[in-house]
Amino acid sequence: MSFVQNMIDDAMSKSLWLFHVNAGSCNGCDIEIVATLTPRFDAERLGCKLCGSPRQADIILVSGPITLQSRDRLIRTLAQVPEPYCVVSVGSCPCSGNVFKGSYAVCGPLDKYCHVDVSVAGCAAKPEAIVAGIAQAAAILKEKRKKMVRR
Amino acid sequence: MTVILMLVKIFLFPGLLFTLLVSLWLAGIDRRLVARMQRRVGPPLLQPWYDYLKCCGKETIIPRKANKRVFLAAPLLGLASVLVTAMLLPVGGISVFSGLTGAADLVVILYLLTFASVTLIVGAAASGSPFAGVGLSREMVAMISYELPFVLVILAVGRAAGQGLNEISQILLGAEGMGVTFSLADIAAYQQLTGLPLIARLSLIPAAIAMLFVIPCEVGQQPLDIDEAETEICEGVLAEYSGRPLARFKLMHLIKMYVMSGLFVAMFLHIETGILVLNVLIYLVLCTLVTFVSMTVPHAIMARLKVEQVFKFYWTFVTALALISLILVWCGV
Repeated sequence: MSFVQNMIDDAMSKSLWLFHVNAGSCNGCDIEIVATLTPRFDAERLGCKLCGSPRQADIILVSGPITLQSRDRLIRTLAQVPEPYCVVSVGSCPCSGNVFKGSYAVCGPLDKYCHVDVSVAGCAAKPEAIVAGIAQAAAILKEKRKKMVRR
Repeated sequence: MTVILMLVKIFLFPGLLFTLLVSLWLAGIDRRLVARMQRRVGPPLLQPWYDYLKCCGKETIIPRKANKRVFLAAPLLGLASVLVTAMLLPVGGISVFSGLTGAADLVVILYLLTFASVTLIVGAAASGSPFAGVGLSREMVAMISYELPFVLVILAVGRAAGQGLNEISQILLGAEGMGVTFSLADIAAYQQLTGLPLIARLSLIPAAIAMLFVIPCEVGQQPLDIDEAETEICEGVLAEYSGRPLARFKLMHLIKMYVMSGLFVAMFLHIETGILVLNVLIYLVLCTLVTFVSMTVPHAIMARLKVEQVFKFYWTFVTALALISLILVWCGV
């Protein structure tokens, strides 16, 4: 059995399905996420695939400074993701609020609402940095899966 | 001895293990070729296998509104039906079941493939999600679109092989057969006796082209995956599936890919030599070729079609091709 479990642990870090949540982003980081998946940067090398439903996601990419309108949707979306999963914040907005900090309509930063595994900084974040963040998240996913099995 | 041979047939060679390996190979090479055609490096060849394992390792969430039993049973039934379909295909001249009941396996394949699509619809309906509702109505439209040309192609091929076998048996035995055959073993035998695969017959070329169009729609491959459109309706029929049930549906998709290419090879491109290993190798190369032509190329060069476009295209162009073949064959050309 442990042989099968080891194989599944390994597969966890080789097959990463991404789900993108836009929490009030200016579209800058969203374009960079799309650029990450295009032929030039080709995130599919790592087994990445953009999927349409949070139920199938392994990595949640959050961009934008969590606006008042998007906060509840973000929390609901994150609650629908099956364990184990990683949250990767893309860009400076979910980390700190960026230039929108202090606005009455902004409820960030992201770590008030969930555990953030990897933060990719930048305004907008570079595709190379996003790929590096996804690769780090893959290693974290494997560890999470191992802990889940022991429990 | 017969029992052991049957078990080996079911579990190892033309059965489960072989089916799984070939399906994973076809899916892996498909994704890699799409990537190469778009000038990307692409995922490793084992990517579909990793995807399957990963889905098995995830938590299974059952929505509160879902009908739990149907929601969990649908993927199992779908997977079982495509696995049985794969056992009806003649791999290098031998299949698991054709020795036992060789009378009408094309009709059985048609029903089992429809059943696999129906399990997808039932599972989606049981999940209680509006996205799955839209997805299942689209899956029904896709089924209506491809079933008609698919049946016409099977009729044309059955008539062509049946007629040919009839003539041969009249010359050799003086006895008359039925004139139409729905047995893959008979179709294979006819192609072996004449020494030419059926695609070499001019009147069957339109049917072969129609079948190449039917394959991606039946499988639900990229330009025709209107039921799973992830950008519009959140994966559609699979919107609420996660964990092991999702893994089963994904595996069903891969095996369907192999079943449809294998069916094309068995109907149109059956080539048999004396040596079994060589037969299987030729079969694998032909399956890969059919997958490339019918699924990889459209995936790489086309965007997803709209629902009504799919319906219109299949009921005019593809059906017309299949019908031309059918009429020509029944007129004896």
